[in-house]
Amino acid sequence: MSHVLPHLLNGLSLGLLFALIALGFMLIVGVMELINLAHGSLFALGAYFAMVIISPDLAWLGAAGEAWAVLPLPVRYGLAVFLAPVLVAIVGMGLELCMRRTYGKKAEYGLLLTFGAALVIEETIRLVWGPSEQYLQVPQAISGAFLFAGLIYSKYKLYAALFAVGAIAAVWLFLERTPYGAIIKAGAHDSEMVRALGINLTRLRLLVFGLGAGLAGFAGIVMTPIWGLRPHVGIDAVIPAFLIIVLGGVGSFWGAVIGGILVGLAVGFTGAYASELSLLSMYLLLIAVVTFRARGLLGRKSGLEA
Amino acid sequence: MASGESVAARWVSRQMVLLLVVLATLPLWIESIGLYPYLGVEIAIWMIYGLGFNLLLGYSGLPSFGHGAFFGIGAYAFGLFQLRVFESLFLGIACAVTAAFVAGAIVACFLSHRRGIYFALMTIAFGQVFWFISIKWHTLTGGEDGLLNIPRPAFELGVASAGLGSNTALFYFVLVVLAVVLVALWRLVHSPFGKVLQAIRQNEVRARFVGYNVWLFKWTVFAISAAIAGLAGSLFSMAQQSAYPDVMSLHASGIIVMMTLIGGGFVSFWGPVIGVAVYFLARDVLGAVTETWLLWFGLIFVLAVLFKPEGIAGAWQQHVGSGDRRSLARRAVAGFLSAGRK
Repeated sequence: MSHVLPHLLNGLSLGLLFALIALGFMLIVGVMELINLAHGSLFALGAYFAMVIISPDLAWLGAAGEAWAVLPLPVRYGLAVFLAPVLVAIVGMGLELCMRRTYGKKAEYGLLLTFGAALVIEETIRLVWGPSEQYLQVPQAISGAFLFAGLIYSKYKLYAALFAVGAIAAVWLFLERTPYGAIIKAGAHDSEMVRALGINLTRLRLLVFGLGAGLAGFAGIVMTPIWGLRPHVGIDAVIPAFLIIVLGGVGSFWGAVIGGILVGLAVGFTGAYASELSLLSMYLLLIAVVTFRARGLLGRKSGLEA
Repeated sequence: MASGESVAARWVSRQMVLLLVVLATLPLWIESIGLYPYLGVEIAIWMIYGLGFNLLLGYSGLPSFGHGAFFGIGAYAFGLFQLRVFESLFLGIACAVTAAFVAGAIVACFLSHRRGIYFALMTIAFGQVFWFISIKWHTLTGGEDGLLNIPRPAFELGVASAGLGSNTALFYFVLVVLAVVLVALWRLVHSPFGKVLQAIRQNEVRARFVGYNVWLFKWTVFAISAAIAGLAGSLFSMAQQSAYPDVMSLHASGIIVMMTLIGGGFVSFWGPVIGVAVYFLARDVLGAVTETWLLWFGLIFVLAVLFKPEGIAGAWQQHVGSGDRRSLARRAVAGFLSAGRK
């Protein structure tokens, strides 16, 4: 049993991170019935924005840049964690404004538009920051390693898992305990009725897309110290996000969380015992689940099937 | 189609002849416009791929985002046959088509009762599984490097034989295959089978209520489309003299969707043909000017989806259908483009 525990913890923390990656994706697909293929690119964009904000080298800002450089790393990091997702949310909102032309048409057009957007964002990243591997600085307090039960763990992974739990809890509170959340869920359930009640659904969709994009950016910042940062890192994020949503069931919050944890455990355990197959396991898990449960673990009927 | 038409007209259309003539003369003029003969090989191969893909996307309304897998399976199967069994052109191609067909048929068993987004997501998952296997199964596929030094076997048919070593010879071989695929698909989409596919695209539930076995139709069209992708893949492994996992990635699978759509696969038989030509020309022309050509192509694609979602073919049809300046040439082009959907 003792040799299973570390893999279990490892898989669990990885699973929470996967759930975090899928969270923004889930929000957009659940409310807007839109597969956001640019999710991965927004994920990468968040990390790059954070990298720029954290970097002390902001000479192009003049005096403000110098004042910024004096701030200690934890402060800069903390600000980046908030600012970068906001910037990504703004980019996401811009994308949503473009999306509007595809509403009411075939779902494939939305899919294609976001595919094109993903391509554009990724190439822009390559143009601005170059194709090579980059690093995201992390404060000393949350990096390094620690000992637990005679085994060495990465301290950052623990904090990253805590970040993920925090974000999941925040999104849950937002959806379940605020009037906005109620409107969002109602909008997903019956948009016509919500509009008839006098709620501005257009603005709601903009908000949801911004939120989903911001969460993608946040996930990017959290994941980068673990995965590294390359222009095409987004593809590593969007695929698990996809799988988790389908696994958990489109439009289900807990489905996404459970799906994420299952994928994390599958990857963690196969990584430990057959590392060659670690990524394959999540696809096989998906195929196994969806073969028996067409709409995923907790999925309901969705307009996307028609 | 009108019943008075001759048998020949049902098998071959003017557009087809025009396309094949343009392509057949391509080696004569392509260098004079600053491009190279190998581009023609690539374009012709991708046209086969795109035409087969559009059977699924445009005609049946089934968005597959993992089609690169079958292209790759064809490429690997052809390469393995040449390297491990013996050198033979037609047997190699037959092996590639069979392998892709079988893989497509197996995948289709899992997919055929799915619709819409769930269908798309499952194709991504399966595409990734095959891509993953191609990277990890070193002893069979050569891992990330892929299979190298795949020979181009000579063309031998009865008394006729020719080496395919030069790109021009290979080009003409690919062109013949393209012609066969064109005629076969043209017949297929105008057959009762093709009509049922279009009915499924328009309303799957209604097609089922009318009494068609929708599952079987979806299964069949998926397997056929996979087999054609495998055929294109086998030609590609000949062209490249190697087979590698890149063509199976999600990115590559997305590109074929993009090509088909930008050309207008939803509204015209010729959509993928136009899309493929535009993509490769953009790659080489924009690529010569800027290294970030994919950025510009992506932007063009986004604008196309926003403003002309029916693609180039659709734009032409609209332009001619609504405009009052109906020149003969325009009508000819519109006729060309709409012929796929009469």
